[in-house]
Amino acid sequence: MAEAIQRKLQSELEKYQQIQKDVSKSMSARQKLEAQLTENNIVKEELYLLDSQNTVYKLIGPVLVKQDLDEAKATVAKRLEYITGEIQRYETLLKEMERKSEQHREVLASLQQEYQRAQGLPVGKLPLWPTAI
Amino acid sequence: MAGKVKTTNDLPKGVERLKEEHRQVVTDCKSQITHWRKMEKDYESLQERLDTLPDKLSYDIMVPFGPLAFMPGKLIHTNELTVLLGDNWFAKCSAKQAQTLVEHRKKHVNNKLDDLRKVMKNFQERAGFTEDLEKMTSATGDFVDIREEVGEEEAATKGKHRMAHKPNSKPKEEYVVQLEEDIREDGESNKGVLSEDELWARLDELERLEEEQDERDRLDSPDTNGEDTTSSSSEEEKEADAGKVAQVNGHGQCEDQAIAPDVDQVNGISRPQLDEEGTEEQEEEEAEEEVSGLPTIYFSHTVEPKKVRINTGKNTTLKFSDRKEQKQQGKRKKKNGKSNGHSIHEHHKISTPADIYRVFVDVVNGEPVPRKSILKSRSRENSVCSDTSESSTADFEERRAFFGRTHSYDEATHSDASDGITEEDGLSHISLRPNGRFEAFSGTVVEKDPLPSSIPHLTIATPALPTIPERKQEEVGSEVPQEPPKRVSKFKAARLQQK
Repeated sequence: MAEAIQRKLQSELEKYQQIQKDVSKSMSARQKLEAQLTENNIVKEELYLLDSQNTVYKLIGPVLVKQDLDEAKATVAKRLEYITGEIQRYETLLKEMERKSEQHREVLASLQQEYQRAQGLPVGKLPLWPTAI
Repeated sequence: MAGKVKTTNDLPKGVERLKEEHRQVVTDCKSQITHWRKMEKDYESLQERLDTLPDKLSYDIMVPFGPLAFMPGKLIHTNELTVLLGDNWFAKCSAKQAQTLVEHRKKHVNNKLDDLRKVMKNFQERAGFTEDLEKMTSATGDFVDIREEVGEEEAATKGKHRMAHKPNSKPKEEYVVQLEEDIREDGESNKGVLSEDELWARLDELERLEEEQDERDRLDSPDTNGEDTTSSSSEEEKEADAGKVAQVNGHGQCEDQAIAPDVDQVNGISRPQLDEEGTEEQEEEEAEEEVSGLPTIYFSHTVEPKKVRINTGKNTTLKFSDRKEQKQQGKRKKKNGKSNGHSIHEHHKISTPADIYRVFVDVVNGEPVPRKSILKSRSRENSVCSDTSESSTADFEERRAFFGRTHSYDEATHSDASDGITEEDGLSHISLRPNGRFEAFSGTVVEKDPLPSSIPHLTIATPALPTIPERKQEEVGSEVPQEPPKRVSKFKAARLQQK
């Protein structure tokens, strides 16, 4: 009886840890996206400060490729949208995972209680009986 | 069950842990701040370099070859820079344009720095609070000393300052002394020792306290300012003068004297009859003052926009503010009467109909006089308003004055529109002299009760009446901004009659 509970406890614990890891991964991914978001915002602003007389280059691998200023602005804007979309996606994912981890935590807690009860009873059963009456 | 009960032993540990976390955040913030400041310095040196770079067409430099070697060489095209904009984007620009970009980036850095500094300060303060909290909980008993530094200028009076009928009389001080004696005697009024004047003063005080109590019961709880009126009325009572004349320009001195003893009385001692005042003080100043010599919290009072409440006929109160902004700031004394007090303080933005009244004020006799809705019921207002703040008389004054104005005046209707209409009918028989000055009512006065006109007092029983004798009184000629339509007990009436 106690062993069964113990085993269940273990499996639940593992699942919980797994979910926690996923949560932290999504968190870090989201933070990266946020950094990219701010960077792209700065690029967009700086592009506005320039005029078409300046040539804009994009670094693709080892090559600097000439770009049109307007094209560059459009590209950066699109990238920004993409990043915000990704962030939102990660947000929902994160919330979902939080919820699941919460559930697992509760299950764990209840299992722990059971386990302790199972542990406690065999040991103190006899002394308890007389006092209960 | 896993023991989740927090014993007293856990509390210090918890506090320790909290402090630890605070400190952690603060150190993190500090390190980040140093990092960003380094960036800022880098940008500044870059700007310097950009300044001097285009000075020459080419520079002789030692060009780094790999990580270990240098080669003599020339730096050419000194004005042409390829700037990394971020995210693998580059732009060719001149030195000046590059400077603009650098400025823009520095702005970002400064923003980040500001945020970090704010966070750090925030957490430092939090740490301070937890320490204080700890001290408090460990300190003896439930008493905490909360101190607030109140400047003379800051204590705001709502409404008008009252001037004694007899400026030369000094009943107040005596009264104050008397009160302190009362304190010593554990709150009992020692009538035997009082002279007659003081006796009357004492009676006034008690009456006022009663009124305050009634008002308090009547006032809405959200109107925290309500207490101010009562307190202000308590202030007025303190002056212990027979007639309460509202003086717009205030008399400061008397009130100050009243204020000080109030504060003293409040300190540490709660008296039955003074308790209200204590609480009023408390609410006004938003600080309790208990002299207990225990853990001290220093509180600083934030001046809130003063609100003026106008009693409508239905015993509802409207927030009406902004009436005496100038006066308020010029002579900030203790807050004066609330209901019907006119303390202003709000900014000129219109978000509710009441704001319109606030914003569109007429300047009459050098004072901003708010326009009143023609639908506003006046007589009932006055009667309902139990508070005897002098400002109410001014309010009344305006209303009457307004009544003399064009009826086509249509502002946003007040909530008591319906009241106003009925009231208007009642008052229609009174002819008003519509003159530019909003002064005392002139014209026929219909007295429904045989009240002695010389006595400027009202009785509660006849709501519509109080206005009339008052008007007459004013018509007789007090130029000063008027009697508050206050209820006066028969004692007072008798006394006034004596005088």
